Parts: sequence; C-alpha cells; structure tokens
Amino acid sequence: MGRVTDLGLGERLRLRLATGLGDAAATASKLTGRGTGASVRGQVITKLAPAAFDQLLAGKRLAVVSGTNGKTTTTHLLAAAVRAGLGDGAAGRVVSNADGGNLRQGIVSALAKARRADSAVLECDERVVPELLRHRIEVLTLLNFSRDQLDRNHEIKFLARAWRQALEGAGDSGPTVVANAADPLIVWSAQTAHRLVWVDAATLWRGDTALCPACGGLLTQTTGDDGCLMWDCPDCPARQPKAAYGVVGQRLRLPDGRLVDPELKVPGLFNLANAACALAAAIEFGVPAAVALAGMATVVAPAGRFAEARFGDAVARLMLAKNPAGWAEMLPLAGADRPLVLAIDSALADGQDVSWLWDVDFERLAGRRVTCAGPRAQDLAVRLGYAGVEHDIVVDVRQAVAAFAGPVDVMSTYTPFQDLLLKAGLR
Amino acid sequence: MNPVEIVLLYQSLLGIYGDRGNAVVLRERLRARGREAVLRQIEPGQPVPASGAIYLLGGGEDAAQVTAVRQLRQDGRLFAALDAGACLFAVCAGFQITGRSFTVGHDDQVIEGLGLLDVETRRGPRRAVGEVLSRWTKPDGGQSVITGFENHGGHTYLGPEATPLARVEVGVGNNGDGTEGAVQGRIIGCYPHGPVLARNPELADHLLELALGQPLDPLPNPEIDDLRRQRLDWARRHHRR
Repeated sequence: MGRVTDLGLGERLRLRLATGLGDAAATASKLTGRGTGASVRGQVITKLAPAAFDQLLAGKRLAVVSGTNGKTTTTHLLAAAVRAGLGDGAAGRVVSNADGGNLRQGIVSALAKARRADSAVLECDERVVPELLRHRIEVLTLLNFSRDQLDRNHEIKFLARAWRQALEGAGDSGPTVVANAADPLIVWSAQTAHRLVWVDAATLWRGDTALCPACGGLLTQTTGDDGCLMWDCPDCPARQPKAAYGVVGQRLRLPDGRLVDPELKVPGLFNLANAACALAAAIEFGVPAAVALAGMATVVAPAGRFAEARFGDAVARLMLAKNPAGWAEMLPLAGADRPLVLAIDSALADGQDVSWLWDVDFERLAGRRVTCAGPRAQDLAVRLGYAGVEHDIVVDVRQAVAAFAGPVDVMSTYTPFQDLLLKAGLR
Repeated sequence: MNPVEIVLLYQSLLGIYGDRGNAVVLRERLRARGREAVLRQIEPGQPVPASGAIYLLGGGEDAAQVTAVRQLRQDGRLFAALDAGACLFAVCAGFQITGRSFTVGHDDQVIEGLGLLDVETRRGPRRAVGEVLSRWTKPDGGQSVITGFENHGGHTYLGPEATPLARVEVGVGNNGDGTEGAVQGRIIGCYPHGPVLARNPELADHLLELALGQPLDPLPNPEIDDLRRQRLDWARRHHRR
C-alpha cells in the first residue's frame, strides 16, 4: 500500500468546498433535531471530496486508539494528556473525535472542524485500523478483543489478522504500538509492529481467549513473578509478554517500577486499565508522565459515560455496556442503594442478536428489583426470570427512569444510551 | 432420586453466542418442578462425566471446532454416555461437529466430525445471519414454532439416518432446502443458537422428557409467551429472502 502524499491545489479547494457544505448539512441536522450533525457532516464531505480522509490526516502527528471496549474513554484520556503536554498553547492544536464517531465519516467530521490542529488523537473502529495504517501514525494503542456484534463481525480473529497484516505492511515506518499484554489476541495482532510497548491491563473478561491465536493450542494460565496471572501456550513459544506498564490495585505501574495514583474521575477497574494504556501512549507521544497524569485527571464523563442527567425527579447516572465483556465490568458498579434500569436495544449499532444477554452474569443482581427497558426489554425480562432477579418491564426508557426519584443507575446498550444523552442535552 | 445432571461441554470453545443459557434453562425448568438438577460445566482437559442426562454443545469459531472434536475424541466418554441412553443437544458449530464432517478456514479444509449425526456441512454461498422461524412437529403430533437467531457460514445436508427437526418458515436453516436441524435417536442438532431453549420452552421440555423418560407438568410463563409473540411477529414482518 502506498503512503499518502500532499495533494494539489484543485484537491484542496474541493475539500474546502466539501467542508463548507458538510458544515451546512450538520447545522441543518442539528436545527431539525435529528442529531448532532457530526455524522451527516462526515457523509457530505466524503461524498463530495472522496480524498478528504487522506487529505485531512496528512501532515498531522497521529495517535490512534482501537479495540473492542474502552476506545472512547482511552481516547479522551490520551487527548487530555497530549493537551496538557502542549501547555498554554494547546488550544486548537489537538483534534479528537471526542463524540465517539469512529468510522471514516466520524473521523473526517472531527478533523474537518479543526483544520489548524497539528496533532490528532483518534478513536478508530477495529475495522478502520488497517486503512489508517496507510498514514504515518506515531502511536497506536490496542486495548482488547472480545465478542461484540457477532452478527456483523463473524469471527473475532478476522479483525486481528487484518491488524497483523497491516502492521507488517507498515514495516519500519509503522507506529509504536502500545498493546495489552493480557489479551492473547491483541498480542498476536500487534506482534508484527516494529516497536512495541506492552501494558498489562489485567483484563477481567477471559471468555474469548481459550485458544492460542498463533497455533490453536489450548492456552494455560500460570502465576507470574509478581503473583499476577499470565497466559501461556504449551504448544508453541507464545506467552504473555512482560509488560512495561501495569495496573496494581488502584495504581498504575510505570516502567521504572514506580506506582502512581492516576486520580481518575471515571470509576471502574477497566478505566484504570484504559488509563494505563493512555499513559503509556502519551509518554510514547512525548508527554512527560507527571504532565500526562495531570491531564488525564481532568477527564469527566467522556462522551457521556457516567454523566448525570435529570429525567423528572430522577437523577440518572448513564452507563454504557455494549457486549458481555463490557457488562462484566459495568454490573459490579451498580449502586446497591439506588434503583437500576437496564435498557436493551438491537438496532444496527447494538447488534441485532441479543443472545449475548445469556453471557452476562445477571445472577449477581439476585435479591434486588430491576427495571427492564428498551425495545428488547422482554428478552431481558426472560433472562432475569431464569436468573432469579425480580423485575418490571417499562419499554420506554425515559419513562422507566422517570418513574423513580433521586439517584438511578441506568445501564444501556449503544442506541438507548445515545438517545438518553440526546434527550438530556448532553450531546 | 439422584439429581439430573446437565453437562455443558467446552464453553470456552463452543459458547460464543450465550449458549450457556440453554443449560441454565434446562436446570431451572427442572428445579421449578421440584426436581433436583445440577449444571456441570466441563472444560477441555477435564474428564467428561459419564453420568450426564443431557449433554450440550454450543456455537464457536473454526479453530475451536477442530479442538473440541479432538478433545472429545480423546476423552471418549461422551460417546459412551450417549450409547448408554443420554441425550445430546448441539447448536450451530456444535451441530456441525456432531455430524460426519464439516469444513474450516478459507481453504475449506474438511474435518472429520464426531459422527453422531448423519449430516455433513460444507461452506455455503453466503452466510446466514438473522432471525429464523421453523415449524416443529412435536412427538405427540402437535405443532410448535421454533424461534431463534441463526449465524452460520456452513450449509448442512442430512443423510438417510437423520431426519429434519423442523421446516423453515423464515430464514435459511440447514441449507436453504426448507429443513432446519436434525434428529437421530436421542441427539438433536439445530442452527438457532444461544438461548434457543429460552425462547422455546416446549423444545426445552421435550429434551427433558426425552432424558427423563417421563412427561413433565406444564410450566406456564406469560413473560415467555409475550417474548415468543414479539419474536414471531418481528420475524414475519422482517421476512428475509
């Protein structure tokens, strides 16, 4: 694959025109209440200037984040670290697709809004990574792989193989890859990178790591020097790489062995793992550790995750969980002292197959009463029935939330989550 | 009376579509009728218990299928248990490996299956993904619609010893010839994956009755009735071709 080079005057004018029309379409979409306009802006620009994606990326320092879960939060943390690194002059110099629009159009839309930026911190859908690797990415952060929307991505390994090949193709001009050593498929997909920085993200979900991605052998777990679990293949040399960064309790371990408290404003062990990856990426991007940590500590409610929104007398904490690994991390965060609403949809962006409901350990909710909401509330109700969890069904999500007064935890799949943000004026 | 043992085989390999749900449903439907039931989850390397009443296989990826076949052959106890009268319910990739042969990988390598069902699976022209409805004639002659979600690249063809489980109303099923699943003695295979027994309590109870050798009392559940109505209605309105 050829690298992208500078484009001529004609192409630049074309991009300028396309961006102007894209902005107009975005404004129209916003005014008519159809959405944020980000998606339509990207659509219009790419339609009118097919080379926009390449043009807008050219000449920028690039840091890219991908993986099944944690992309948006990690991107927010990394962007905050990079901004902190630039100090007072940072305004306008760092662009990021902070709204989570991580396909080509979402990336184009974000880049087109900040033409003067010289650094881009981009969240990138797993499928778009190989295409982005045609550009000179400085740091690529690869978080984790797990089952997600299998009605679209039929085989998890297919994506990993595409990354592996693209990194191999990028060769010496490819990025430094910051990768999660605890995830065997991530390790296999990243191994062809010319430079690697491993992070032990202490990944909880082990449901998709039975087999060695290299040889198909049955992976075993051994206990490492520090007492942590390490995966190992008995049939080939593949094993968990020794990580430079890690998560130890509530703190992050740096390559020199120091333990630091990231003082995050976002909860959960998985966000500590995201922070470890973001910190490693920021340092590779040239930001000193202390400065990066200070930046990361300012991140609150990235793209609405854990944001609070009022519906009637209820103050909802909005939590997003998109797949079994995400739910495994999110369910333990449900406040025991407040009502819990679970909202399930099966629109295209959620995955049309809700079989995954049976991969989630809803049994842990036994003893409390839960509200099932969203278009697939009935599927959840049957699941909770078999799990011995008392429940009510209120299909309309806002109505389900507004039935309570005071703090309510609301965990949703993608579409109801975005809808609640929109209704609350948070996006 | 000994508790009824439900043996869930190799979840880490064949459990990608929430297939564990079928085991939970079987256990809970027994408990709801006052019967003792245990769910035993067996991973590769652990001995497969010979004492199971129902064994379950679920969905998974190519490499996992190959490993599962190798491990089950090495262990051998599943075959002995089935010879002794146990039932097997195999779904999606589990259905495929239960047959005589199936293919994996981009070069369609043919792999010998467990040979428990007289079916063979080859890669189909395009992947079957979506809601699937099929009409099942129950052993008592009554009709029931099986609702589920299918997601498979393989097309399965039945030999003379296997009979179709059901007739497709919406979706693809075995290979587009109108058949869905296969039955051979006390072994049932089908494509609707994951929690198919959650959506189809009659099929779940049929399996339990087959395993116990006695009829079970009905277990009315309006929530499941509502779910079935929703899914049947949805599939019929969004008819795939």
